Amino acid sequence: MSGENALNLPEDLKARALQNARQATPAEALAPLRADALAALEAAAFPGRKTEAWKYTSLYALTDGHLAARAEGAAPADLPVLSEYRLVIVNGRLDETHTALPEGVTLGRAARHLDGLTTPFAFYNGAALDDAVTLEVAANADVAAPVQVLHVAAGDAPSHCNVRLEVNLGSGSRLTLIEQYLARGPVLTNAVTAIRAADNAHLTHYRLQADGGDSLHIGTLLLQQTGVSRIDSYQLMAGNRLRRNDVRAFLDKSGAELNMHGVFVARERSHIDNQLCVEHRVPDCTSNQVYRGLAGEKGRAVLNGRIHIHPGAKGTLAELSNKNLLLNAGAEIDTKPELEIYNDDVKCAHGATVGQLDAMQQFYLQSRGISAAEAKRMLSLGFVNELIMGLPDQAVADWAQPWIAAELGERPVADGEAA
Amino acid sequence: MLEIRDLHASVAGQPILKGLNLTVKPGEVHAIMGPNGSGKSTLANVLAGRDNYEITGGEALFDGKSLADMEPEDRARLGLFLAFQYPVEIPGVSNMEFLKAALEATRAAQGKEEWDSVTLLRKAREACKQVDLDAQFLKRGVNEGFSGGEKKRNEIMQMMLMEPKLALLDETDSGLDIDALQTVAKGVNSLRSPERGIVLVTHYQRLLDYIVPDYVHVLSGGKIIKSGGKELALELEQHGYGWLTGGQNGGNDKEDQTA
Ligand SMILES: Nc1ncnc2c1ncn2[C@@H]1O[C@H](COP(=O)(O)OP(=O)(O)OP(=O)(O)O)[C@@H](O)[C@H]1O
Ligand SMILES: [Mg+2]
Repeated sequence: MSGENALNLPEDLKARALQNARQATPAEALAPLRADALAALEAAAFPGRKTEAWKYTSLYALTDGHLAARAEGAAPADLPVLSEYRLVIVNGRLDETHTALPEGVTLGRAARHLDGLTTPFAFYNGAALDDAVTLEVAANADVAAPVQVLHVAAGDAPSHCNVRLEVNLGSGSRLTLIEQYLARGPVLTNAVTAIRAADNAHLTHYRLQADGGDSLHIGTLLLQQTGVSRIDSYQLMAGNRLRRNDVRAFLDKSGAELNMHGVFVARERSHIDNQLCVEHRVPDCTSNQVYRGLAGEKGRAVLNGRIHIHPGAKGTLAELSNKNLLLNAGAEIDTKPELEIYNDDVKCAHGATVGQLDAMQQFYLQSRGISAAEAKRMLSLGFVNELIMGLPDQAVADWAQPWIAAELGERPVADGEAA
Repeated sequence: MLEIRDLHASVAGQPILKGLNLTVKPGEVHAIMGPNGSGKSTLANVLAGRDNYEITGGEALFDGKSLADMEPEDRARLGLFLAFQYPVEIPGVSNMEFLKAALEATRAAQGKEEWDSVTLLRKAREACKQVDLDAQFLKRGVNEGFSGGEKKRNEIMQMMLMEPKLALLDETDSGLDIDALQTVAKGVNSLRSPERGIVLVTHYQRLLDYIVPDYVHVLSGGKIIKSGGKELALELEQHGYGWLTGGQNGGNDKEDQTA
């Protein structure tokens, strides 16, 4: 298999990405986007050791050669069903046999040029797309049942797929979107999701990334609140070999409100890197972010929460809270709020902590006959319980509860590692 | 059921208990009084198995088994219960979930029949009622935001459900209003039985009007320096500890400065 060279990894990745992009034969609807994205990719540099935004995340895993092959595996038979309305995208291509959409939501197979993408992976995504899915929610459509979009990636050997989802909420519309990622095997999912909300639109958004193990995920979530809209986003993430999420939100019309909630868990040797950036570009918008992270064994998690309040964005309310729990000494979490505020008339609060299990709480539980391992599990569950209990859709809550319980269960202690 | 012989123990390396003897037989109620810092909570924590509370000499046997190297959960499963002087808040873990885990673990270990969730809920509600705690407290995080008195009642509520063989109550009366004191005393009295031992740590003779002890001990400077019947508590109430400790405060802090 053709691997990439670790020494020149950024250059090698770029060369490989460009080669793939130039060979791609996209559908006609994707051609204009592809030309834009290719130009951006040509101008971009892939991150190396010294790239600040990738300080904690090495791309070394990609020396296995993921970019050299496209994922071709078959989707597993037992795909999770969280709604009667769903789309299944396998290795970046829509599997039309599953498609069911509610009234008010129409499916398109195009993609538009997106402002606000930053990573070379996002450019590569646009430059080498095989397919794209767009959901248009009609103005004033009040869609009661959730729409589940399942992104499946499967392969037995190192390979990758590019997946792209765009959702446009018309004015006065209402939608619940469940984005779920499922990878099997050593596959890199290179994802871009872009959501645009017009005036009086309300989106409840879930981003479920429970695919752990040897899969990789590099994704961008772009939220564009072009109207006086409200987005409530819930992001649940398990660590895998490499998980990197860039979330970028633009509050572009006064009165827009964004709420983001996230839980991330990195156990064993897994990795999660969250790069959040909320752009307040106009006055009187509100953003509220609450993230909780856990890491155990040799797990590694990162959260960088940037809040950028532009000079004209007076009356901004922006909050970010990120509390983290280390389950043992070998785990690591790096969290950093990053505020850039260019006017005085704002209310901005942020807090980030990294702590350990409380010995007194643990003793209290054990003094009631609860084993040390169970006490640990109860306390770590308790740490994220509020967010899990706060999931507004029953189908998602029913999925999330066993997921988090399993994610926080006991793990074998690796060699020479303190408990 | 509890045999403590010449017990020496340190907290974080600091010797606190210095040759303590105490025997509790089934059916007995013992009260331990003594100045602040004399080692009462240390004794309770040593018996319950808290980290960093280390037995350095002598022995503590519970039903003939040495507690020295036993995990806290194993002590609880054998039927030892500590009502904490300062109950711990655990946000995110509901009281009910906590009780369920505790009762599952201890009842299974003690060969008692398992309670299904309906039975458990019914029992928990009854126990709440007995200590005058609204059943809503079952849904809240363990001790989370509870008032001082509510925390103490929550301890007794747990004790009533767990039906321990030996209950250690560390200042359960502190911070209780007059009515709550009677409620808690009633709860404790309802657990008095020929098979069960109870050790009450208290500063106030008043509690002993409601829960009449068989023995009263004075713990000072890490040892029991006097034992007697319930009339000893009345004497202490009148005269303080000075006549027993020879003017020393009996706490550990002064003595240990030379160590
Ligand atoms: N972690 C610790 N490190 C050092 N000294 C400690 C520690 N915990 C307790 N001590 C000391 O041990 C001594 C006994 O404390 P303990 O809590 O047992 O007293 P007590 O008799 O329960 O007092 P009170 O009536 O105030 O509750 C005190 O001098 C206290 O400061
Ligand atoms: Mg005490």
